Formats: sequence, structure tokens, C-alpha cells
Amino acid sequence: MITEQGIKDFLRSGGYIADSAIATAVFLALRMEKPILIEGPPGVGKTGLAKALSSSLDFPLVRLQCYEGIDEGKALYDWEYGKQLLYTQLLRTQLDNYLSVSADLREAVERLAAEESMFFSMNFLVQRPILRSFLSEKRSLLLIDEIDRSGDEFEALLLECLSDFQVSVPELGVIAAKRKPLVILTSNGTRMISDALRRRCLYLYIGYPDLDREVAIVQARFPQICNELAQQMVSFLRKARELNMRKPPSVSETLDWANVLTILNASRLTRDILDNTVGVIAKHQADLQMVKELAVQELR
Amino acid sequence: METVVTRFVHALREEGIRVSPGECLDAVNALVLGGIEGREGVRALLQLTLVKNANDIPGFNDTFDSFFCRQQENPFFINPEELMGAFFHIVEGEEFTDEMLEKRQEDRTSMLSGAQNLTAEDLQNLEWLRDMEEDSDGPEIQVRMKGHRGKNKAPKPSEFNLLNLPSAAFSKSWGTESNPAFTPEEIADMHEVVSRMLIRIRKDVRRMKEEQNRGKLHVIKTLQKNYRNGMVPFLVSLRRKKKVRPRLVVLCDVSFSVSYASRFMLLLLHTLHNRLMDVRSFIFNQELAEITDLLTNMPVNCLLEIIDSGVIVDMDENSDYGKVLVNFKKRHLESMRGNPTVIILGDARNNYNEANDWVMDEIREKAGYLLWLTPEDRETWKRGDCLIEQYGAYCDKVEYVKSVDELSVILEDLFRSIYTDHAPRKRRDRFDKDNEENTVDYKDYYNQAKAAESHNYWMQLNPSSSAWRERFGISYRKKR
Repeated sequence: MITEQGIKDFLRSGGYIADSAIATAVFLALRMEKPILIEGPPGVGKTGLAKALSSSLDFPLVRLQCYEGIDEGKALYDWEYGKQLLYTQLLRTQLDNYLSVSADLREAVERLAAEESMFFSMNFLVQRPILRSFLSEKRSLLLIDEIDRSGDEFEALLLECLSDFQVSVPELGVIAAKRKPLVILTSNGTRMISDALRRRCLYLYIGYPDLDREVAIVQARFPQICNELAQQMVSFLRKARELNMRKPPSVSETLDWANVLTILNASRLTRDILDNTVGVIAKHQADLQMVKELAVQELR
Repeated sequence: METVVTRFVHALREEGIRVSPGECLDAVNALVLGGIEGREGVRALLQLTLVKNANDIPGFNDTFDSFFCRQQENPFFINPEELMGAFFHIVEGEEFTDEMLEKRQEDRTSMLSGAQNLTAEDLQNLEWLRDMEEDSDGPEIQVRMKGHRGKNKAPKPSEFNLLNLPSAAFSKSWGTESNPAFTPEEIADMHEVVSRMLIRIRKDVRRMKEEQNRGKLHVIKTLQKNYRNGMVPFLVSLRRKKKVRPRLVVLCDVSFSVSYASRFMLLLLHTLHNRLMDVRSFIFNQELAEITDLLTNMPVNCLLEIIDSGVIVDMDENSDYGKVLVNFKKRHLESMRGNPTVIILGDARNNYNEANDWVMDEIREKAGYLLWLTPEDRETWKRGDCLIEQYGAYCDKVEYVKSVDELSVILEDLFRSIYTDHAPRKRRDRFDKDNEENTVDYKDYYNQAKAAESHNYWMQLNPSSSAWRERFGISYRKKR
């Protein structure tokens, strides 16, 4: 029996500190066998959640990175034309023998037609991520990353897969999932995702974490960092997030910064240290200036 | 429990959050699976299953708080059997198909066991809920249908979407408030308007792209593509027809008299930029300046501040359309390629300067389509220094826009026509032909001139009509 607390502990063992909303979402997704659609600003750990889940639940991770123009040939399955051709070439003599028995052309065609399905079998089917995760013997975790980058058509394609966990191949029929994978879709919200897709998913919005959780995240990743410094840097970044920056520093920047500070062996945050490392947290020139101004107010 | 969830879903719908029956079922399932443990737990479960849009989360929280706030002295016991009795009325107004019923039957046992775990805390609202009138909050959709039954036809899908605009701020006319910066809500709403618009246009865009691909076989590319298949052409590559790259050139008056409209235009441009087509945007007052780069590289509020500070164009001057047009011709007209659609936003109040309307003719030559948008009411066009009638005679269309909704509708139509056939010019010629045929019928010049004197006659015509052109002595050479 999986419980929410159990999931929190699981994720913690995978190095991911979850709040109760995330744990509830994962819990429901596992019990209801529904995909989770995660939205939120970049770098708050959407993909990280999927990775942590796959390692702590021991589900093999199948990742599908979306981009503009992705289609079923890249996401579901594809026929391996080259291999089919190669086989026909190699089997030519075999085929000759096989067909030479037949009396006339008509019979030969019939004989060949009877064997047609051989060339449209699983042998020649290239499994792309979605089909691969459906056919995996072990329950897998299918991560459909940055779905907002793909087009409408691709979203429509996903509808069948996500609601019924099956893939229709015209030549073979419907292939149902052996084990229903845990599906996680992530989106940065650059494009509105259709309601049809939203309806099939649980919706989880991950925003910036609160102070305690963010400190816990830093300390889980960098245990050598002292509590005081972690508190100090996290509260500084939280103030920076309110500055209306072009690219506000997110959790991934916090972790980068923590990493830099450990390498520099800093024990507390000073303006000198910030001036030297400001490039880690601010990624635009205008932002650099804003962070430095904030540092003048906040730090000594 | 189902009743509570259903009521809650209705409350959400009244709040404007779209919840489908399927999601309602999910919520019930989730509550059974997750158990009802404390207020926050239930809130999390309901939010995960019912809310599918980050913008709706605050609304959900408000509704949740107000819905589950009523405290009662005696938490009463709920009989699970009784709950099951109401089971098939989970969603009012929804008819269950057989499949769903079967599925429900299967779930019934598990639901029963789940229902016994209910704590009264979140269900104590049942009693006062029952007291509520049955019909008070039917599904939103029914309410809507009622509204449109009868004489009023249901709105077209596109109009319908516009009726659902996310915020009331935009359904109003242009606000004339003095503060120039956009609130985050305005920006978010504009993104919403644009993304809805894009969704509606996207189908046409795709059709255009497909049509572009329809052409003769591109032999070399096909061979290259099928090299690994031993030159057997599994993948066919077709020669593209003439490449169509829709372009838009926008001239936007930012002088004080139209600033309230132009700031929305700028915001719309900002959101549209690079999402749909190449846009070159200019602002002018007495001087003309291109702001295409600024639009791409700068948050819109910064840009507005800069414009207001008068660094780009001097804001203290009065607008001078004639001078601007001449400057536009001198500096930019040469670099306009590919029959762009030209949109001019302004009130055409020239402050009694030289009109220089011959430039409009040259712009028209270069442009695929020339549209003039004015925020000023038709009634006032004849008053004072307004030159819209003169300029408008050169345009394909003069439109009066009084709100963002109208602006987005007009632009949407424009984009659609650009994308679908990319030949507004062709279409225009056809219209012209029709108009000409009409005018042949009216050879009674005397009466026509007399009618022209009356105000109403001209009010019926768009300044882009041929009668207007005649009035200003403008004649067009037919292109191609």
C-alpha cells in the first residue's frame, strides 16, 4: 500500500524534496493510473521529479523530448524500410525457390501475399519512446518533456495513448500496453495546451518552493553546506525573485549557486562573493544589475 | 460525497472554471483513493483533479474556502447507503452511457468501503446544500443554451470564444486611465487573447503550408531522402510552390490623442511578434521610428516608458501624418518586400499640415493590403483636422475599433485571409469589379451628387469604396 508519506520518503531517497501537493499527485497518478501534467517556470524540478521517481521507484525512465515537428514516426513507431529491403534482397534466392513451385503468376502472387504479414511484423517495427515504454516488461516511467514545444497534431496523437494506453498500428492492429507506465508530461507554458489533453491528466503546478523546502533541497544535494549559509542564500534568492527579472533565478540556479559556494568554501554570503558569482544566478545583463543593486541593500 | 463534489463543481463552473463530467468522476475517485484527511488534503486532491490551468488556481482556492466554510453545530452521520442512492445523479443533466454505468457498478463496492472512511469534517455542508434550490445552479452549459434558444441564434464558434474572454477588463471599451503601464493581468489577458486567436487561425496556417508543399516532384531531394532505401522512393519530396512569407508592417500613432488605443496595439504586436509572421513596427508622432528590435528585446512596460519619455519620437509635438508618410516613403518604402500587409493605426488628425496623400498611393502599390484602423467614431470624422476620409480612400479597408475585442477580431480576419489565399489583392479586385458593375447601374449623376450632399449617404459607405475614390479623384491602375 503506497501512502503519501511513503512517496515523500521515496522521493527523498532519490534526492528530491517534495511538498504535499507533489506527493499527492504522484500518489494519485500511481493509484488512478493517470498521467500527470506538470507546469511551472523553468528550473523548478519538473523533469527532476520524473528522474527522481524513476530512480526511487525503480521504474526504467523512457524519455521523449518534444520539439516542433515531432510526429508519430519519432514518438510512437516507425517501419524500418531499410531492413525490410535488406531482407528482401538477402532472401531473394529463398523467395525464388519458394515461388518457383507455383504453377503460374497468379498463384505466385497469392503465395507471396500469404507471406506478406512477415514484412509487417514486430521484427521491422522500430519502437519509439512511447511504444517502448508500453511494451516494457517492467512498469516504466514515460517522461514526455516540454510538450508545449510540439504541435497540435502531436497532442492529438497523444490522446489515444494517454487515455487508453494503447497504440494503433494500421498494419498490426492495436497494441495495448503490457504494464501501464507512469506518465509525466512537463510544460513550460509557452503555449496553451488543449483542454482535451488537460482533461486526461492530473494537473500539477510546481511553483517556486517555500523557504524551508528550498533550504532542505539545498542541504539534501550539498550536505556540506552549513545551515546558516543555506538560509542566507535562499532568502536572498527569494528576494531576487520578486524583482521582476527577465529570467528569475529558479531552484536549479539555487543549486548551481550552492555548488559554486561550496567550491569557493564560503561560510557566509558577502557582497564580494556575490559580485564574483553573480553570473550563476542572473542570466541577462539587466538582471545582473538588478541583483547587484539588491546586494547593496541586503548584504554587507 | 458525490453530491458535495457535484455541488462544488457547479460552484467552480459559476466561478468560470471549466470542469468536465469526466474530471468530476476523477475527483470522486481520487477522494475515495486518497481518503478524506483534513482540509488541506481534500483541497490538494480536488485541485489536482478539477483544475487544469494555473490561472484557475486562485479562483479554485477562493471557491473552496467559501464553499467549505459553513460550520455546523452537529456534524451528522451520513449513511453510505443513502449516498449510493444519489450515486447516479453524480452529474446533473448528464446522461450516462451504458459503459459508464457498468464501470460505476464495478466501482460501487470500492466506493462503499471508501465512503465509510468519510470524516464528517468536509461533508457537514450536506444539509444546507440540500436546502438550496434544485435548479439554482444547473450546469453552465444549460444556462447558456437557454439564453440562446429562441430568436437569438447561438453565436458562431469564434464569436463564442470571444464572449468568453478571460477578463472583463478587455470587454470594456478602451480605458482612458492615465497610467500608461500595463498591469500583469492585462498582459496575461492579452496573451490569452492572442493564444486563442492563434489556436483559431492555426488550422488555416496549416492548410496554407500544405498547399505550399503541393507541387511537382523534386527529383534530387527525393533521391537524397531515399538513399538509404536503395533509391526506392518511399519518402517523396515535392517542390515547394512559390514561398509565401506573410509580412506585416504596422504604423502606429502614439500621440496623446490616440495613445490609449495605440498602447493596446503595441501590446498586441508585442505578443504577436514572431509567433505568426514577420512584423515590422513603426511608431510615429511627428517623427517616424522603427521599433521592431525594441519590441523583440524589451519587456513591453519598459518600451512604453521609453516611448512616453519621448526618446524615440518627440511626444510634445503634434502628430503630422503628411510628414510621417513622406519620411516613411524616403526611408523604408524601398525595403518593403513581398507585398506586406500594411496597417496604420491613428486618428488621421493632421493638425492642418500638408496631407501628402500621394504617398498613400505609393504605399498601396507596394502593399498587399492596406488597412487603416481608427479609434475615432465615425460621427466625428468630418470635424476639424481629420483627414481619414482622404487617406481612407486609398485603403482597402477603414475600420473603426473601439475595444481590444474588436481589434483582435479584425486582425484575426486579416490574418486568416492572408494565410488562406494570401491574395487579398485578388479578392479586392474581385470586389472592385462587383462595385464597378453596381456603379454602372447608377448613371444618374445628378441624383448621385445630390445624395452625396446628404450626410447619411456617405455614412453608409466605407472610405475605401469606389465612390469615395471618385470623390477624391483617385483612380487605380489595375495590377497584373
